[in-house]
This record gives sequence, C-alpha cells and structure tokens, in this order.
Amino acid sequence: MALDERQIAVSQLSDDELEQVMAEHGVGLTVGEARRIAELIGRDPTLVELHIFNVEWSEHCSYKSSKASLRMLPTDAPNVILGPQEDAGIVFFTEHEGKRYGVVMAHESHNHPSQILPNEGAATGIGGIVRDVDCMGARVFGTADPLRFGDPQGEHAERTRWIVTGVVEGIWQYGNALGVPNLGGDIYFDETFDDNCLVNVVALGVVAEEDIIHSAVPQQAHDEPYVIILVGKPTDDSGFGGSAFASKILDEEEQAEDRGAVQVPDPFLKNVLAMRKANEAVREAAKEKGIVIGMKDIGGGGLACGTSEIAAAGGFGVDINLEEVHVGLEGLLPETIMCAETQERYVIAVPEHFADEVLEIYNQQWDLLNVYEGACARVIGRVTEDPTYTVRFGDTIVTQAPVEAVTSGISYEREEQPREWSEPEPQFDQPEDLADALLKVLGSPNVCSREYVYRAYDSEVQGNAVLRPGESGAGVSRPLEGCDAAVALSVDGNPKYGRIDPYWGGATAVAEAMRNVACVGAVPQALTDCLNFGNPEKPEQFWEFRQGVRGVADAASNLWLKGYEQTPVPVISGNVSLYNESASGSSVAPSPIIACVGVLDDYSKAVTTQFKQPGDAIYLLGERKDELGGSAYYEALGLGLGANVPQVDWEAERARIYAVTDAIDEGLVAACQDISDGGLAVALAEMCMGPFGRGDVGADVDIEEALGGLRPDKALFTESSGFVVEVRRGSEERFEALCAEHGVEPIRLGETSEDAELEIECGDDDLVDLSVEVMAEEWTNALSRILS
Amino acid sequence: MLEASKPRVAIVQFPGSNCEWETKRAAEAAGMTCDVFRWNIDPEVLASYDGYVVGGGFSYQDRVRSGVIATKEPIVGRLMDEVLERGKPVIGICNGAQVLVEAGLIPGVSTGNVEMALAPNRPDPAHRIAGFCCRWVFIKLACDPERCVATTRLEPGEIIPIPIAHGEGRFTTRQEGLVERLQANDQIVFQYCDAEGNVEDRPEINPNGAVANIAGVCSPDGRVMAMMPHPERASFLGQVPTDLGGPWSRRRREAYGDARALEAPGPGRPIFDSLREALLASVPA
Repeated sequence: MALDERQIAVSQLSDDELEQVMAEHGVGLTVGEARRIAELIGRDPTLVELHIFNVEWSEHCSYKSSKASLRMLPTDAPNVILGPQEDAGIVFFTEHEGKRYGVVMAHESHNHPSQILPNEGAATGIGGIVRDVDCMGARVFGTADPLRFGDPQGEHAERTRWIVTGVVEGIWQYGNALGVPNLGGDIYFDETFDDNCLVNVVALGVVAEEDIIHSAVPQQAHDEPYVIILVGKPTDDSGFGGSAFASKILDEEEQAEDRGAVQVPDPFLKNVLAMRKANEAVREAAKEKGIVIGMKDIGGGGLACGTSEIAAAGGFGVDINLEEVHVGLEGLLPETIMCAETQERYVIAVPEHFADEVLEIYNQQWDLLNVYEGACARVIGRVTEDPTYTVRFGDTIVTQAPVEAVTSGISYEREEQPREWSEPEPQFDQPEDLADALLKVLGSPNVCSREYVYRAYDSEVQGNAVLRPGESGAGVSRPLEGCDAAVALSVDGNPKYGRIDPYWGGATAVAEAMRNVACVGAVPQALTDCLNFGNPEKPEQFWEFRQGVRGVADAASNLWLKGYEQTPVPVISGNVSLYNESASGSSVAPSPIIACVGVLDDYSKAVTTQFKQPGDAIYLLGERKDELGGSAYYEALGLGLGANVPQVDWEAERARIYAVTDAIDEGLVAACQDISDGGLAVALAEMCMGPFGRGDVGADVDIEEALGGLRPDKALFTESSGFVVEVRRGSEERFEALCAEHGVEPIRLGETSEDAELEIECGDDDLVDLSVEVMAEEWTNALSRILS
Repeated sequence: MLEASKPRVAIVQFPGSNCEWETKRAAEAAGMTCDVFRWNIDPEVLASYDGYVVGGGFSYQDRVRSGVIATKEPIVGRLMDEVLERGKPVIGICNGAQVLVEAGLIPGVSTGNVEMALAPNRPDPAHRIAGFCCRWVFIKLACDPERCVATTRLEPGEIIPIPIAHGEGRFTTRQEGLVERLQANDQIVFQYCDAEGNVEDRPEINPNGAVANIAGVCSPDGRVMAMMPHPERASFLGQVPTDLGGPWSRRRREAYGDARALEAPGPGRPIFDSLREALLASVPA
C-alpha cells in the first residue's frame, strides 16, 4: 500500500513557502514545529499527519506552555487511586459491602466555544466531561459549573446577558436531558471577562476499584489480538480544528468563521450510551467473562487523539482503517475524519473474539441504529505490537509514524515577567448606615442569590441529593445505594483576588473550596484545577499563570490531608486554558478555578447554612484582618479593587477546617457557613435567610470581641478566611474544648433569636437591624434584575 | 413479606429516560418487584406484569412535543391494551405523564383522544432565564383518596412536599368545560398549594401556571394517574430538604445524625404504597 501523495515538502520549502502552504491548509503549526515533525517521522509529512500534529501539538492537547509548571502541583497522597494521567483522576471514597470505591473526578473548560456560541459551547462542555468520567467505568452522579462572565451592567452588558442566558440554557438543556444532577457551581462577573467568558465544568462519578477501566489498550493485547471499536455518533466535520481553536486568541472579526470549530451536542444519544445503559452493558459483559478492555472518550483532537493515545498509553501501536469509520457526511477528507471533534463518541479496545458481542450490545440490544441516525458501533482497526501509528484511507496510507512521536507532544519554555499591582487601598470613612451597606452588598452581582440560575438545573435526578445548590457552600450526594457515605463538591476561585495577586488568587481558591466542603461536615479529599489564564507568549501573562499555579500548589501542599502531616490534599486531575485574551490584548483575570471533593462518612450529619432554632450559640472562627482587597464591599461602594487581598495562614486554616469537620461529626453543629464574598456580615445574613430567603430564625450578635483592631465596617465585610457556626444549645462547652484541641480560638458572637431578624451590635453601637424579609428582597431577586 | 405476594411492575424505559433507577428503588421500597423494561424488548412480554410506571426523562429527545414520539412505539400500544382491556394500573411521572396525556389515556374522558396538553411552563417574572424549573413545591390531595390507584394510602387533603423538574409541565386544555368536568368527576388528583394547603395561582405556589393548579390527573376509572412532580425523589425521609418549613422538614431535622431514621418513608412514598395496594387487590391470589 502506498503512502498518500499529498505530502508537504517540508524539507524543500523555504520558511515563507512553508508558512503559506500550511496557512492554505488551515494548519496553525509554526515553521519550526513543521520541520521538527519531519525529523520525528524521518520524512516529509503527509497532509493528514500535519493535521494530526496540528491538534496534538495544540496548547489544548499538548500543554506545551504549561507542562513544566504543572509539575509543581502535588498529585500524590495515600488516598489517590489514579492521579492526573488519564481522562479523569480517582480518589478513595469508601468501603461498602467488602468493596473499595473511588470518586472519579474531571474538570475541563469550554471557554472559547462558549464565547461565540454560548449554548452549544456550554452543552458540549458537559458532554465532554461526562464522557471523561464515564469512560473510566464510573457512574456519573454530578456536575458543577464554575462560570465567569463580563460586567452585566458595563459597556458590553447586552452581549454579556446573551452569553449568560445561552450558557445557562446549554447547561440545563444538556445536563437535564442526560440525567446528571447539578451539584453546584459558582458565578462571578468581572469586566475582564467581557471578551472571554469562562465556562468550566466538573463531573463526578463513582466506581468500585476493581471495575476501573483505563484509557489504555490493556496488557492482555500482548497475548491475544485486540481490535479498536468506535462507537457513537457518525463522524462529520463538526468541531474540526476545535482544539486548535481553543488555543488561540479570540478575534471578534473571525468569530463567524470560528463557529464551525464548535461541536454539536446530543444529550439524547449520550443518555443511551452513558447513563447506566449501553456502555455499562458492555462493561458488565466484559466483567462477567473476565475480559479486560480499554476505553477512551473522543474529545479534543478527535479520532486522532483518541486512537493514538489509547494505543500509546498501553505501549502498543494501532492500525486504523478510515473506510470503516461510520460517517454522517459524504466525501469527508481523511484529515477531517481524523481530526473532527464530533460529539458522543468513544473508542474501545477489546479482544477480537469479544468484538461481535460488543457490536451486538450497542447496535441491537441498545438499538443505536434506531436511536440516532447513523449512530452505531464498528470495528475500525486493530492493535499492533509494533508501536507504529498507521492510518489507511482507501488504498493509501495517510499516516504512518511512531505512536510516541504523535502523542508525546512538545514543550516550550516561556518567559515570565512579574507585574506590579499599582492600585492603592482606598481611604474612606465608615458609612453612617451599615444596614444600607449590607443591603447593597447582598444585592450586588457577585453576592446575590444564584437561584435564578440553578433553578434551571435538575439537581434532583437520580434521587441521591443530600444538599442541593443553595442549601450550603457545597453540594452533597449519596451516590452508592444502601451506603451512608456521601460526597461533597465545591468549586471556587475569586477573580478579583487573582487580578490583585494571582498567587493568593490560587491559594485562596484552594482554601475556600476546602472550607466550603468542610462547612457541610465533609472532610476534603482531593482537588482538581482548571487554570484559566491569558497568553503564555506574553511574559507578564505567563508570570500570572506561574504565580497562580504556585499558589494552588502551596495551598494544596500546606493544607494537609486529614490524619496526615506534611501530606497534601492531592490535585488528581485538571486542565489548562490559555489564550483567554481578546484581540485587543486584554486577558481575563487570572483564574485558577478549584474544585474540591470531600467525603462524609454519614450523610445524615450533613449540615446546611440556615439557622435552625432560637437560643443556639453563634461562634466565629477566624480572625478578622484588614483584607478587603477585591472585596464585594469595595465593589458595592464603588471603591475599586484595593490592594490587601486575603491571604491564607496555612496552619490556622488547616486547624479551623478540621475543627469544623470534627465538630459536625460529633453532632455539635446545627448550621455552618464559610466566610467568603461579603465577609462575616453576608455569612450571617445568609444563615438568617436560608436558601429560599424564608428563614424563620434570626441572630443577635456583638462583634466587639471580633474586631481585631479593625473599624467595625471593615471587620464586618473583610473576606478573611473563617467560619460562622451555630452550635446547639448545651454543646457550647464541648465545642470550645474541641476547638482548643485544634488550636482554634472561637469567638462567641451571640445567639440565634426567635424573630427572623439580623441584629448586629458593636458594644453600645447598633450597626445593623434588618429583617429576613428585607434582606431577602435584595438578595433573592437581584440576579434577575441585573440580567434583564 | 413473601416474594410471591409482591406485585410485579414494569418501569417502562425509552431512549432518553433518566429516572428509571430511582423509580425502581422507590417502588421496590413500597413492596413491589420491578424491572426496567427497555423499549425494544418484545412488547408481548409486557403483558406478564401486574402494573406499570412510566417514569421521567426526555423520551425521544422530546422531539415534536414531550412524550408524543413514545406513544407511536409498539411498547406503548401494548401498554394501552393492558390498561384499557385488562384494567391494569399505570402511573406516569413527569415525562411519563406527558406520554400518558399524549396517548389519550389522561384525562381519558373520551379514551384515546388527546384532550389535554402539558404546555411549556408559564414564564415566571423572577425566572426568565430558562423554561426549565427544578424546585421543591407543595401539592395536596385534591380528590377522594379512594378515587384513584395512586392515592388510597394518602389522607384526605394531605399536603406533600415534592420536587418538580420540567420545562413543559403546565396542564392545560382547549376543550371548553373540560376542567369543570374533571372537577365534577373528581379526576383532579393533585393541586399545587402552599405549605398550609392554600391553592392559589401565584408563581411561588403554582410553579408552571397549570390550569386549576393541576399537578396530577387520573382517568375516569381511576386506574391511570399522571403527575408532573416526582414522588420517587421524595420517597425517603432522607430525600427531603431540611429547610423547606412544615412537618416533613421538621421530621427530617429530628432525624439528624441517624442514617437509619432517614430511610423512613418520605412524603411521596404513599403514592407507590397505593399502587401496590391496588395491584394486590387486582392480582389473583
């Protein structure tokens, strides 16, 4: 069989000519990269090969700018079952009926697509992340969406609202139809996202350790022939160039033509594949027969990435015949079939003798042929001992290269240049009316209730919800039938902090995610990160990236795993999204977004935010410091960002987190809230209002003991880390003793009260006296007002 | 209980169904034996079951209208035969309710004709971002408990906290006088209400704007019942949120720290208990 004649004469063309030829073919590689490819494969590359390297060497697939920095992240801990080397990470969850179970965790971004086609961009984000978790052999039981949008009241307000609406619709239309409950998420608005929204998505699954499927051709392929099956939607040209597109700067002029790079979602087909249906039937059949299979989601980089990586991960080669690929369009070129990012597809490596049964399960038993036009499972190639990546199309070989050369990628050393933050801390007098200030903060875009959005997400499907969005800082689900253990999930990352100081932006994101998980009573077990930054080729923006990673790494390393010393809460999976920069050269706020998974051994102990009964003690954990930089208070008063960004005191943070989880485990706590946006004042207000703004228990507190030398308004609104805890009447002494054991000094602020009112005093001064009704009026409906 | 005395129920599964497993769990907790019954299994086999639940999801992608494609499938044809000719009971939940309405089984005043629709939710001024709404609401039993196979184990006028999750759940009709007729015939099974049981047409109370606050309707003979809220997601005490207010949230709070106590029946369980009772009464011993 002959090699494809469509070769690019890399060895003969001048730099200019080569650049032109590549541009004509839509290949974004540099001239240097093209010459390197010719070296790697020992001849001029075919056009298909060039396209394959184009996606494999995109920032999105190869992490070429970020790889070296990511080594800073601590990824190993005693509870890690699978670190960040496959489609998703796995952390130990619980033992149940003699089996060890893990939580599978993946975290991705779909930023670029969501900016230009919000609905499809956000929907395919969910689709991809669910495949990542599903293909590990897990049942997917939850998603969360950290979202960052532009200023909804600023210069581009109209476009921002269009994007918000489209993204939220994309999330619900896909996630709800699929049948995966939403466990939470967060939303920030900041003008640096005007030209580049961030749409991150996290998915969780549960799997018995013995049932984990790896994204690799199994070692059994040394002993018997294995084949590669492609299952799912027929391949078309959608998403062709998607990964390369995700790695470029967004230019408004080009958005119309970029739309073709956005994939087309189909939750209906995915439901039949992933949600305890066809894929699970295949895995069960394999397990029953003692057959080991490998499975991989086809996402960024399409069939090229999927087939080469599954082979390389097992140390094998693969021989693919593109004529066997089921396609949805006539006349597709081989490079399109290889690199299109058509959704709802997987590749599976199975023993040849088992292949017919797998095809029968998909095509007949689960009726794929009738469920979706053109969808099916087909054998498209075979695994080879020889570690060569061969792709055939008709009677030509369109790709033949060492598989390692295809998958090992490249890396770049980028320059970093520190940038100074020049904005000073604002000077201003304490406002006369702090109740009014609190209402302003409660009604501000970054603090107000998110119900307007999360109400569109199905948080109840699967029937395992323990705590839903709004009920607490973390969503809690009980994914294993008959097992009392539950999983808590929180996502965090305050872009205002990142703008002032990317290091503390990263560190506080980790700490806050852990606090949010802790305040429901769950012990933090693992983290994922999605690192959303600007252009790595610009030294100041690359410095922001490096600082963000350092902050995440230091926090994860220094906030130890419970029960261990000097042992991190591990980062088990993650993603990097760079080039979040508009053509005008402005980049997004440095946004390391963190997801934290925690485990509650007994779901019946999960606590919510809302105050439960009058006469309970209210405690503050965590000293108030002059850390109002980037605060919701400054924003609401129009004081700019300031400079004193909250920092993390590793030892104190650790002590508070584990004091809280232990106190909840002992049953001392009736309600708990972590202190973040809006500070102590907002935490107290939210505990009075509850998730629906209908709380019937108030609070009487005096903050004099908590001032820490600060002016009362600063003490109330500073975003220094901490918790507010409602301790059950009669448990105060035990709670204080437990805190002391952890080296934490709780400050007793006051008591819960019978009238649904928040009364805050400072010594003899009355600072705030607001009813739940008045606060809820500002807080509950603000987002709908802001977005319409 | 002996296995032999457990009625057998098929949970009908379409491509796009997504509530089949929690529905099975809830129905089994009420003492029934359930199979998830895939759409392309021989419809004849469906005849071997004592009763049916058509559950939630997005069958056939909600193409054309929610529920309508499923009604063209042989499996629903067979289901209708079992219901109409052999009087077997069936409950439709959410998308299942949409299927039963599109099949003409609900309200079934003239059987087989589509007399009602589950229209897109009424836009809520405070919730314009999307048509879908997922939240806990209250419904009350509006009919005589003996009226319908799904309500015999409920108290007259019982108030039930329960979640909804749908984009097209507004019971409506173009037939003049139909609602009055359903009222006269006591076919309106559940109505949206507040925590105290007041039935008012306000968005906080009537989340989708259904005519007469209708959340559930039964057939004239009471053997078929369709409801939009999800009783399977409110079948265990542990599924009830702690902060809704009312006696169920109070009970949930009182069970704090006691995982076994949270396994007690939830507010939606009596609907499945009632189905079981109806099946035991109709199954020959």
